[in-house]
Amino acid sequence: MIKPKRLLSLLLRFIAFGTTLAAVILMATSHEKGTFFAVSYEAKYTDTPAFKYFVIAYAIVTVYGFLVLFLPPGSPIWRLVLALDLVFIMLLISSISAAMAIAQVGKNGNPRAAWLPVCGQVPKFCNQVTGALVAGFIALITYIILLLYSIYNFLNPLFEKA
Amino acid sequence: MGLQNEEKLELGCSGSQPRSKKWVLLTVRVIAFLATATATLVMALNKETKTLVVAMVGSTPIKVTLTAKFQHTPAFVFFVIANGMASFHNLMMIMVELFGQKLDYKGLRLAMIAILDMTTVALISGGASAATFMAEVGKNGNSHARWNKICDKFETFCDRGGVAIIASSAGLILMLIITAMSIFKLLNKPKSVSS
Repeated sequence: MIKPKRLLSLLLRFIAFGTTLAAVILMATSHEKGTFFAVSYEAKYTDTPAFKYFVIAYAIVTVYGFLVLFLPPGSPIWRLVLALDLVFIMLLISSISAAMAIAQVGKNGNPRAAWLPVCGQVPKFCNQVTGALVAGFIALITYIILLLYSIYNFLNPLFEKA
Repeated sequence: MGLQNEEKLELGCSGSQPRSKKWVLLTVRVIAFLATATATLVMALNKETKTLVVAMVGSTPIKVTLTAKFQHTPAFVFFVIANGMASFHNLMMIMVELFGQKLDYKGLRLAMIAILDMTTVALISGGASAATFMAEVGKNGNSHARWNKICDKFETFCDRGGVAIIASSAGLILMLIITAMSIFKLLNKPKSVSS
């Protein structure tokens, strides 16, 4: 009964929703106590505004993905969904780019600015943040595939077939 | 002159409107190109050398010369590359608009322009966002990770970086407008008689 096009779109949207949810949960629950030269401190995702931005952006997209899953096919709102997909892809790219920039400095440090890498003291935190970034990246690619698929379906009548 | 007459015949009665829209789009593209090119150049030439006194041995100070370059931070390298590619894209689109009116590929010209505009928007947004957050760390430091701020020592470096990021953000907003206009052009494409 369900057309294969609709099934494929639904499957992709479910994968996107799942991976954004995983990214939010992994990043939000990442915290670890570590010692830094006999000073004990806790590394949380709220330490950097970049990670906070990542959590907020992916949470917004998770809610959006959840709502779109229940949209009936053939509704005129699908055009708005196409436009919103583009806007949210931009939001995702911006947030994952910022989080990756800060995570790269946290992992490798910046010797010229005397910024030491943090991952040596809190390895579990670093691994969980890496997992969140990987999930976020998969979500981003899924959303891009969805956007291209929607544009292809939308533009198909406009192609002048030879 | 012959080209303009052909265009008028193809578009029918709505002859003058698409042409003024074409010049509006072209002007916005030129401004966006200038914005992203400025961002690229300002960040690429961003360099500051400073001599700091580290310690005193007796009465002679020991000086250390430190350089701040944009290559030290991968986020800024990505920023320069992303804005460079966006400037190149805008330049190509301006050239195609001005000189390549006949360039087409199976009627997909407008669709390709719209999709390329979208990818450029994504690229600029990634670069600007990464550079913004690295600049924020450089300006405020991060007490939790014991990262000291560097902007109090390298003020010119930070100022120029800030100018580049602002120019890139302006270019991003303009690219968004351009993408919206390209998509409208694609949706309202006149169904001209083909073949």
